[in-house]
Amino acid sequence: MKLAPVDYFILFLYFAFVLGIGWRLRKKISTSGDFLLSGHGVPVWITSLAFIAANLGAQELIGMSASGAKYGIMTAHFYWIGAIPAILFMGLFMMPFYYGSKARSVPEYLKMRFDEKTRTFNACTFAVMTVFSSGISMYALGLLLQLVLGWDFSTSVLCSAAIVLAYTFLGGLTSAIYNEVLQFLLIVAGFAPLALMSVVKAGGWAGIQSRVEPVMTHAWKYMGSASENPMGAGLFSMVAGLGFVLSFGYWCTNFLVVQRAMAAESMSAARRTPLIGALPKMFLPFVVILPGIAALALSKMSLGYDLPMKDGGYDYNQVLTTLMAKFYPAGMLGVGLTGLMASFMSGMAGNVTAFNTVWTYDIYQTHIRRGAPDAHYLKVGRLTTIVGVVLSIGAAYYARRYSNIMDLLQLVFGVVNAPLFATFVLGMFWKRATANGAFVGLITGTSAAVATLCLTVAEGKGGWFGHVYSFSSAMAQNFWIAIVAWTTCFVVTIAISMLGRPRPDREMEGLVYGLTKVPHDATAKWYQRPAPLAVLVVVLLILLNIWFA
Amino acid sequence: MLDLRVPSGLFFALLGVILLGMGIIAPDMRAALTDANVNLYCGAAMTVFGAFLLVMAWRAGRSHS
Repeated sequence: MKLAPVDYFILFLYFAFVLGIGWRLRKKISTSGDFLLSGHGVPVWITSLAFIAANLGAQELIGMSASGAKYGIMTAHFYWIGAIPAILFMGLFMMPFYYGSKARSVPEYLKMRFDEKTRTFNACTFAVMTVFSSGISMYALGLLLQLVLGWDFSTSVLCSAAIVLAYTFLGGLTSAIYNEVLQFLLIVAGFAPLALMSVVKAGGWAGIQSRVEPVMTHAWKYMGSASENPMGAGLFSMVAGLGFVLSFGYWCTNFLVVQRAMAAESMSAARRTPLIGALPKMFLPFVVILPGIAALALSKMSLGYDLPMKDGGYDYNQVLTTLMAKFYPAGMLGVGLTGLMASFMSGMAGNVTAFNTVWTYDIYQTHIRRGAPDAHYLKVGRLTTIVGVVLSIGAAYYARRYSNIMDLLQLVFGVVNAPLFATFVLGMFWKRATANGAFVGLITGTSAAVATLCLTVAEGKGGWFGHVYSFSSAMAQNFWIAIVAWTTCFVVTIAISMLGRPRPDREMEGLVYGLTKVPHDATAKWYQRPAPLAVLVVVLLILLNIWFA
Repeated sequence: MLDLRVPSGLFFALLGVILLGMGIIAPDMRAALTDANVNLYCGAAMTVFGAFLLVMAWRAGRSHS
């Protein structure tokens, strides 16, 4: 793929705007709260789009089109059952506690509801996870740019990291959130035309259906048994593992996304943030997955398009860029490439800002230096931005050197989130849950996840401690690990809590269901209230699933 | 507080104008697999979107002051 001067110009124009937004917002920062929490003053349409964009990293964009070509429309389950229900639950039922408790972060809520040890455990695992996620994403981007454009790995990694550092250092969370919105719009503008053109070229949805195997164009029809569908995951593991444990664990407890909703200007806006975000999220498969399926159909049409190959197999990760090269002339190609860069930056900035807040408030202020003046924590927050970016760069080079270890790390991160949702659901909805119960439950749940990973084998991976069971695919293994981890944490937390003494009700006001007043804004218009919005999302979701069943 | 619609609108309007210009100056430029003047259509759409954001921001700014 060759770039023209106009493509470079578009890329630089984008960099200028991103930095400009950071520069304009720098004056707004006078306290650590402004820098790390946006001072609860961001309009709801902005938090909603940032909520979705922070999750839409480069890896997601590259990976979803790759999965589209490999697994077909079933990939959309990562959005439809793997995100939307959890997003709705978060907005309707969990946000009142997050926002109402006045916690500054997800780990801090754990401190208020349970105690210090659960918070510290969560803060540390989360901090390590964010650094590695942004490192892995940086590595994926550097690798792709090297492969497709021949750019030097180090140059592209360091330049893009420097830009993210500059705008988050200047404007903190607000700058990250504002830029995420611009990035989201650019991703859609850069890839929606590609989806449209590739599908039209492949003869529309009917043309695609006639060219690829039926299993690729039905989301539910072949879900009955694990052997029939390309993902190798059956109905139960899909719904319970992905749809329940993994997605609720991610969307309801991961501070990276929860932080965006917490930055909203009011309780009502915080609750509506995930619900409004769910609307574009539901339709993103048409932008990110559909091109992959269309690419598969196009490769069977003798038009001169073949799926990219590497080492004798398909290299699905290049599907998106090869399509861009075939459909975009100079100019639009620059927009597509800029969209790819934007997705990387939104993912990385999301990780860096979440890391910042958790490190500064939950680790530094709690364990290293308590009771310092706020100006001190603002300075620490700013310095942490630099440290976070440098650590991410280190993780990117580490990933480049030991790419096999990265597969493992990603698998481990998948299991760290899984038990957490059990801790939160019990903490928020069962006032009898105790601090010791939560801590022991979380530790055993996490250990159960690691043990399952080490005792089972899938696609030749895992089984380091022995070989008890074989899964038909790594995805099925991942889903089952999550189910085991969640159940263990849930059962152990209840058991240990029943043994201990309950905490007095008055200490848990605003933290637990039944002891918290959830505001009813019955006077607001329907689209300003959470419940009607949620109903709208559910109706649309059901229609989409029937359409592509 | 910065109204995000202003920089976003400006960005998309500029992007749209560049692409429109490309579509008009080099109308024969085609990618391998398409017969459409991609830059012209995408540029037009982005210009309209950018202008829409700017108009929204301008109206909000007027009702405030």
